[in-house]
Amino acid sequence: MIKVGKKIIPWREGMSVADLLNDLKDPYAYPVVKVNGKLVSRIDFEKTLISDNSEVYLIPMVAGG
Amino acid sequence: MTEIKLREVKTLKYLRPTIERGYANQTLHVDLSTSEISIKPLEEKVKEIFVGGRGFCLWFLWNAVKGSTKWNDPENAICISSGPLGGTPTYPGSGKSIVTSISPTTGSVMDSNVGGYFGPYLKFSGFDAIELRGKATGDVIILIDGISQKVQLFQAPELPDMAHEISHILTQHFAQGKPRNVSVVSTGPGAKHTLMGCLNFSWYDTGRGRARYKQAGRGGIGSVFSDKGIKALVSCWDKVTVKTNNPANEEELKKVAKMHSREIVELDPRQNDMARVGTTHLVEIMNDHDCLPVKNFRYGQDPRAPNLGQEVFRRIFDKGFDGCWIGCTVACSHGVKDFVPVTGPYKGKRVFVDGPEYETIAGCGSNLGIFDPYTVTEMNFYCDTYGLDTISVGTSMAFVMECFETGLINEKHTGGLDLSFGNRAGALELLHQMAAGRGFGRVVGRGVRQMKKIFAEEYGADPDAIQDIGMEAKGLEFSEYMTKESLAQQGGYGLTLKGPQHDEAWLIFLDMVHNYMPTFEQKAEALYWFPMFRTWFGLCGLCKLPWNDIVPEDNKDTKEPAKVIKHVKWYAEFFGAVTGRSVEPGDLITMSEAVYDFQRIFNLKMGFGTSEHDNIPYRAMGPVTVDEYESRRERYDKQLVEVYGVEINGKSTGEKLRLLRKIREQMYEKLKEAVYKRRGWNENGIPTLETVKRLRIDFPEVLEVLKAHGVEK
Repeated sequence: MIKVGKKIIPWREGMSVADLLNDLKDPYAYPVVKVNGKLVSRIDFEKTLISDNSEVYLIPMVAGG
Repeated sequence: MTEIKLREVKTLKYLRPTIERGYANQTLHVDLSTSEISIKPLEEKVKEIFVGGRGFCLWFLWNAVKGSTKWNDPENAICISSGPLGGTPTYPGSGKSIVTSISPTTGSVMDSNVGGYFGPYLKFSGFDAIELRGKATGDVIILIDGISQKVQLFQAPELPDMAHEISHILTQHFAQGKPRNVSVVSTGPGAKHTLMGCLNFSWYDTGRGRARYKQAGRGGIGSVFSDKGIKALVSCWDKVTVKTNNPANEEELKKVAKMHSREIVELDPRQNDMARVGTTHLVEIMNDHDCLPVKNFRYGQDPRAPNLGQEVFRRIFDKGFDGCWIGCTVACSHGVKDFVPVTGPYKGKRVFVDGPEYETIAGCGSNLGIFDPYTVTEMNFYCDTYGLDTISVGTSMAFVMECFETGLINEKHTGGLDLSFGNRAGALELLHQMAAGRGFGRVVGRGVRQMKKIFAEEYGADPDAIQDIGMEAKGLEFSEYMTKESLAQQGGYGLTLKGPQHDEAWLIFLDMVHNYMPTFEQKAEALYWFPMFRTWFGLCGLCKLPWNDIVPEDNKDTKEPAKVIKHVKWYAEFFGAVTGRSVEPGDLITMSEAVYDFQRIFNLKMGFGTSEHDNIPYRAMGPVTVDEYESRRERYDKQLVEVYGVEINGKSTGEKLRLLRKIREQMYEKLKEAVYKRRGWNENGIPTLETVKRLRIDFPEVLEVLKAHGVEK
């Protein structure tokens, strides 16, 4: 299981951040998500695998600086 | 405690007014040439139109200077003001001040925002703003003591030069056992010897038992301060509660403050974690998005960037509460304890470093090809205590390093210094030279615009080449974001009032990641409302971070996610609860627009403020060199073919480079036109008569400036 904010999502072997967003059917263009406290940028969504029992926060970042 | 000798020059005793709905309703004026200290009532019309903070500062500065005034003329003023909401201890980020002056590097009006306690303490002492004019003979300090109800001017010939020592000594001297009651504004020796001096605004860190500071860095106001002979300003105030600002509706204020404060406490750890890592989270995010400036903005990425990232600084930063204003839950002002510099006057000694933040890391790190967090921390320490702006220092050094590596300048010009990218010892030595006004440091301390002239006219460098890579606009050095792939952010830097500083418009993600503004008109719309929101924070005494850096999780599902409207509504409620002026979210934009357009006309008064001054160097728009093009060839080739329908088969990189440049320069011009139209300005970038009337800034002197530029009935 993966905790995404307050939601619980089933985990599967080889699941990436991109897969997770696909499963969530969330089309929002997140620049960054946080996986177990580490920031992952969009460019790495496909190659970043999520382990079981991970905690994920989707960061709806619009600004900085 | 270090004993200091102060010689009293003048004392003005006054009766402190009660703060009414966020305003003291009077302002303080000090003429350093005559030692005259005066208090003036705040006119209702000024309050209504200019609101506070930056608005007040601009109004007093406008009245102080002529169009011909230079930065070091006695009539140039330094104005400081917080704002009606400034000094609220429960609402996150409510302790900011704005400083304005005529800038040494731009020659026009500069505004710079800063944390620390000075602005709120000034207001609670009875003054919505302070205006400093004239020049002192010898070093002076000005004390605004709201507890004893007196303003005093002292000669202070024996104070040390370094800002961290001045802050510490004056805090101890005036504390009377309560160091938190004292805030000091100071600069350092670098401000005297360069044009990029900053001001350090102190706040007392009770947990660590030391005075710390934040910087009003941009545009060299510290150099004006030093030129006026001011060693320091000191404000003293006692306990701060919600009642101190005497809000119109205390209960409403507490309610809305609690909501925003709680949301930050809940969401910040899940999002940017600024309470623990400050803005350092941006380093890797910018690197991943090809927006981290590397080697004078040539590239946006480097594999070594994680060496400067949040996980490194999470370990280096001293743990504890780091809010630059009382009760702020963003609390992002982190620092490094017991740091031991390896160079300069503090070599081998333990010091506390306030920072680094993202801008310093990118400016004094990646943009110089330096990926060592300890060198960046040392640069940060020395810039602050020397009174130098880390952004202008970083961007100026990056320019110099590129000129050195490409042979536009050489060791004959640098006095033997090897200023290759990545040379940590060279960068630190250059910084010490700048602060002392020695060697090549004297040249670099004049900033990128003046260096371009010196390199071309005295060193024989190719003027076109240095124009393309010298990252300044309006005379101000760029802050630390790569803009090549975001036309909106090119406008966010170029179409600013003071020069390329991200505090006015930061549209990179809205443009590049979210694609919220694909058309010119949509980009122009964003370049209308975004600077207005940011201006509003500067009018009121607020930090911009709580607005859109920590975002409600359902924000993405709102009609206009870019505006973070839930927070804007809270800010409107906050404003109403303090001032008693009932406002809607849209009113925030109107309030700001009056001040924004007034500042644009102020630029016009000073001989700037037209379209030609909104140009940016080509490095900000696209690849200048073949090497840069080749590094992202796939991207640029694809754009030429698929977006612009250019046939590139058989064309050399140089030919493609020129084609892309032509297109991008045309796009920037088109963006300018769209933005001017949306802002209600004419094709030359001047507010029209209809616009100034709508905004109620059609004062006779404003109309006179417009008329002189052909804008009349």
